[in-house]
This record gives sequence, C-alpha cells and structure tokens, in this order.
Amino acid sequence: MKSFLLIMLLASLGFASVKVEATYASLGAIAKKVGGDLVSVHVLASSQYDPHFIVPKPSLLSKLRRADLLIINGGGLELGWLPPLMRSANNGKIQVGAEGFLDISHFVAMIDKPNSVSRAFGDIHAEGNPHYILDPYNVLIIAKAVAQKLSQLDSQNMQTYKKNLANFTREWHIYLKDLDKNMLTCKDKKVIQYHELFNYFLKRYGIKSYATIEPLPGISPSSKHTLKLINLMREQKIDMILQDVYHEKKTAHFIASKTDAKVKIIPHDVGAAKGSETLEDFYNMIAQRICH
Amino acid sequence: MKKTLSLSLLLSSLLYSDSELSEIKERLQQQDIKIQALEKVAQERSSVNQSASFSQNAYLPDMALILNMSAVSRDVKNSEYETYSIPGFIQTGDAAIPFNKERGFNLNYAEFAIRSSVDPYFEVFANFHLHPNEFEIGEAFVQTRALPYALFLKAGKFKSSFGRINSKHQHSWNFDMQPVIYEALFGPDAISDPGVQLQYLFPTDTYIMAGVEAMQGSNERSFGDTEENNLYIGYLKSSVDITDEFSFLGGLSIAHGKNTTANTTDVYGADITLRQQLDSYSSLVLQAEYLDRNKDLGDTTDKQAGLYAELVYKVNKNYSAGVRYDAITKNETNLSPDIDCDNLQRYGAMLEYKPFEFSRLRLQYSYDQTKIINGERRDINEVILSLNIAAGAHGAHSY
Ligand SMILES: [Zn+2]
Repeated sequence: MKSFLLIMLLASLGFASVKVEATYASLGAIAKKVGGDLVSVHVLASSQYDPHFIVPKPSLLSKLRRADLLIINGGGLELGWLPPLMRSANNGKIQVGAEGFLDISHFVAMIDKPNSVSRAFGDIHAEGNPHYILDPYNVLIIAKAVAQKLSQLDSQNMQTYKKNLANFTREWHIYLKDLDKNMLTCKDKKVIQYHELFNYFLKRYGIKSYATIEPLPGISPSSKHTLKLINLMREQKIDMILQDVYHEKKTAHFIASKTDAKVKIIPHDVGAAKGSETLEDFYNMIAQRICH
Repeated sequence: MKKTLSLSLLLSSLLYSDSELSEIKERLQQQDIKIQALEKVAQERSSVNQSASFSQNAYLPDMALILNMSAVSRDVKNSEYETYSIPGFIQTGDAAIPFNKERGFNLNYAEFAIRSSVDPYFEVFANFHLHPNEFEIGEAFVQTRALPYALFLKAGKFKSSFGRINSKHQHSWNFDMQPVIYEALFGPDAISDPGVQLQYLFPTDTYIMAGVEAMQGSNERSFGDTEENNLYIGYLKSSVDITDEFSFLGGLSIAHGKNTTANTTDVYGADITLRQQLDSYSSLVLQAEYLDRNKDLGDTTDKQAGLYAELVYKVNKNYSAGVRYDAITKNETNLSPDIDCDNLQRYGAMLEYKPFEFSRLRLQYSYDQTKIINGERRDINEVILSLNIAAGAHGAHSY
C-alpha cells in the first residue's frame, strides 16, 4: 500500500507541469525550448496585432488565473494592456515581485534610451527600446533567464532545465553562425521603418535605419512628414522600407511609388507573418527579406 | 583609437631604432594599464549610491490628471433644464446634473487619480473629483494583490461591479451622457458607496467570475436607508472567445437593498458585450444592458425597467463613431394618470477624434424624449462637443 502511494505520488510529480504564460509568442517559443515536456506554455498576445495594444479580453484572465509563471517582455511594452489583467486575475503567484513573475527586460541591455522623457515626444519608450527580441543573440540571454526561473520554481527538475538550456544554447550558437554568415552580404544597407521595431536586428548586422514613417512614436503618419521622408530617401539613396504586419501599409506603398524603394513586410514576433512560426524561421525570414 | 595607435606604431617603427621601439611599446603598455585602472575607478564610482539621503522619490505612486470639459447646445433654457424630471423616477428638482449642464461652456471636472502598491499584499487606488464648487472622493479603496484561492477583496469607497457600465468612470464611457436607465435608477455616480467586495475567479478554461458586495446603500434613488449597511450585491460574469477575433461577455447582477421607506428594493441587471476585432486599431462593439427594479413603498410597489444598447465602430487609431438607443420599457407606478409615460426613449450618435491615446474630442447629438419640464413632456435636442485629457501616469483601462 505504502509503495503504491509512493508510486502515485511520484507519478503525479512526474506529470506535474509548470503552467507558463508568456505575453508574446517569441518568449513562449523560448520557454518551450527550455521547459520541454515539463512545462505547458500559452501565449497571451496574438502576433498578428500591435504588441503595444493588445485587447485585454476577459478570456485571458482565466489563463492568468491558473499560471505558475508569467513571462513578460517588460520595458513598458505591456503597459497599455497587461496591468488591469494582472489585477483581475486573482493570482498572487504572478504579481510583480512574486516568484512566478519574470520580466525579461531586466536581463537584456536595452538600446535607444531617451535622454529626456515627455509625452510631447509621442508614445516613447521611456526605458529604452523594448523590441529587443529582434536581436537573435538575445535569445540566449532570455533562455538562460527562463531556465534559471524554472529551476527556481520547479527545483526538482533543475537538472533537466540545465540540460535543455545547454542543448538549446549549443544549437542556437550553430544557428547564429549560419545567420551571421548570411547577413555578411547585407552590411551597410539603408532602410526606413514604420516604428522603431527592428533596431536591434539592424544594429546587430550593421544596417542603418534613417527614419520612421510615424512622425513620432504612436502618432499616425502626416503628409508633411511623409514628404520629408521621400526627400530624405532620394538624397540618401535609401531603397528599402521595413513595414510591420499590423500598421496600415498605404503610406509605405505611397513612399515606395515616389522613390522606387521596396516595401518589405518584416515579422516583429514569432508567427507574425506566414512562415515565421519557429524561432529559426522568424529570424531567417527577417534576414531573407532584408537581404534579398 | 586602435587604428591611430597601430598607425603611429607603424610610423614610429620607420623613424626609430629597435631599442627605441621596444621602449615606446613598454610605455604604451604601461599607459594601457593606467587607463584600465582609471576606467575601473570610474565604473565603481557610477555604481556607488548617489541618491539624496532619505529620498523616497522612487516610491511615488502613479498619478494622473484627467480633465473633462464641453461646449453644449440645447433647445431648452438652463433654468428650465435643471428642473427636469423623469416620470416615475426623478422628481422635479431632484435631478443632479454634474456633467454638461449649462448651455455654452462647462468644465465638468478635474480628476486626480492615484494608484500605488502599498506592500506585497495591498494596492491602493483613489480618485478625487474636483468640480468647480465641490470636492468629492470619487473612489478610494484598497485591494488585495495576493489572496489565495483566486479570491480578491476590495474595501473602501468604490463603484460597484454591478452590471457593465456601473464600475466605469465617466471619462471611459463610449458616450458622454449616462444611459437613461442608470440615471433614472441610480443617478450620475451610479452605485458607488463605502463597502467591501469579494470576487472569485473559477478555475475553468472559460472566464467565469462571481462577486458579492456589501455596501452602505446611500443611493437615494433606489436605496437610501443607511441606518446600517443595507445594500447587498451579487453578480456572475462570463466571457467566451467564439473566434480569435470575436468575443462575448455577459453578466447577470442583482442589488438588494432598503429604500428610504425602509422597505426593500431589488434591481436585476443583465448585460452583454459583443466585440469583433477587425485589426489592431479597429473594432466593432455592441454593448447592451437591461435593468429591472422592484421598489416596495409599503402600500404599493414600483415596477420599472429600461435598457440601453450602443454600437461603436472604431475605425482606426484616431476615429470612432457610434449610436446609442435608450428606453424605459416598464413604468408601473402610482403616478397620477394625467402624466404621459409612454415612449420614454432617447436616441444618440457620436463621432470621436483622438489625436493621441490620451486626448479625445467627441461630438455627440441626442434626441431625448424622456424628460418632463414645467409639467409636460418636452423633447430635447442636444449637441455636446467634449474634450477629455488624461495626463501623467494614467493606467490602462480594463476591458
Ligand atoms: Zn515600440
């Protein structure tokens, strides 16, 4: 009888999986790599939508209510939608400061930190550019942070997380080598983008972004600003417009028609464009679309 | 730096002999070591605590200022408008009209809102309504952050989560005017009282939430017997995502209290919200509520009900448009029979422009057939142009 109970207990422990909620798909994908079968991962925001403005649907509350771990991007990216959800999820485990709350931005070196902060400059990111997922090297940092957190929450399986992390890190280094090689041909390209979404990728591979289609962060394009862009692109011979999947595409196409630049739809997150459903495919697609 | 160094090394190798060169190399190395040491000192200095002693700036709460103002045009004189009544609900002179009352310009309120975590267990929220001649604590409550068993507790003065629109602040409504049935049953502040609230979220895949509240019951339109805490509220809410883009939210509520005659009043509410998301910035939302009241007055019981339904199309980040219909659907009271209570309804439409997330201009028109002025029914045409500003650290609104 005793041994039976013990087996039951072991079995229940063996199947116990950590319920992970990630705000964005890329974070979810990394958590899955590190957690493997020991975790069940759900993603709150659809990558079809603007990551700054996710609708805080009540259905997300049921997900958050049962989560053991909430992984957020941080850096203000979720400021417009997540706080009221966390408040109503009635789950003490995942509140700011609790053990089951992981803000990845605390592990990543953020770029583009503004010198002065005011809403007069639009919806700027006061803590620096939060779209750090666009740098494929940050995947390693995120994986490590998630592995640490999972080991802390589920210490019995620490060895497995460690092993998963080591395997994934090894694979990812090999992948990065390939990616770096492919990107060599793309150095010194000149682009403009809609919002400063792709800065981390561009910086990593020496591509220069000259301007954004939105005149100020979060402000819709104006004809005056668009004309300025057209002149700038002609002067600087910029021939590529990086367009995300969720903003209107009219302005980009208008600028393209006046400058002979090409409009490239670039995914900002895993799964944002068709064919970018895995981490590798996601970065491959960005590389491919910017380089060719 | 490196380039110029190697360049100068190259040049010097052409100019100097080998011995001189090794001397220069050595000197350079020493220089390098010195630079590294200096950098280390600088780094240490920057990580040293340089904040003012005893400064608590980092603990400042989130604070926001909300300003709401309007320009109003109405085909009723101000002196007559403030005497309006709604037959069966509001008597002449009892209408409290805090928003958009005057023809011409109105500063409706400046609201000062504060939110902060208190400690690992509590969070506090307060908003202070400053009307031109009045200070009002709109809400001031403390709520739990980490209660076990998916429970949530709130205590203080707060807006009840009865129904759909009751808990929302005026500046987050889709129209500036309050739904007629809410104004008729509860007045401009809706159900807002000192009390406690307990909510529970079910551990299901589908969102199901149940809540109970005990409140003082100071709302005189429907309750008002405050000899002790006399108002009890309960509700059940659920939401289903039918597709990724189409979601349904529904709720059933009940408020059970004692009115000024010390008899019971029961208000039942049903609400639905249907939302179709079209893209990141565009959506179509239908929201409707039905409220039914039984107010026992001792020898008679008022049986009344009404509804509103609104459809709002968010075109993009900047523009929205919407229509609303209000109606009193049941009005069985002991009013004198010569007052005509049929077809109490209102039609409204609005067009909204948001230059940015935190500023909003809204133009609204309403045709109101619910009011009695000077003893007879009077249809009112009203146009409101309102401006709402939210500055500072203003938290995101809930669904
Ligand atoms: Zn951004």
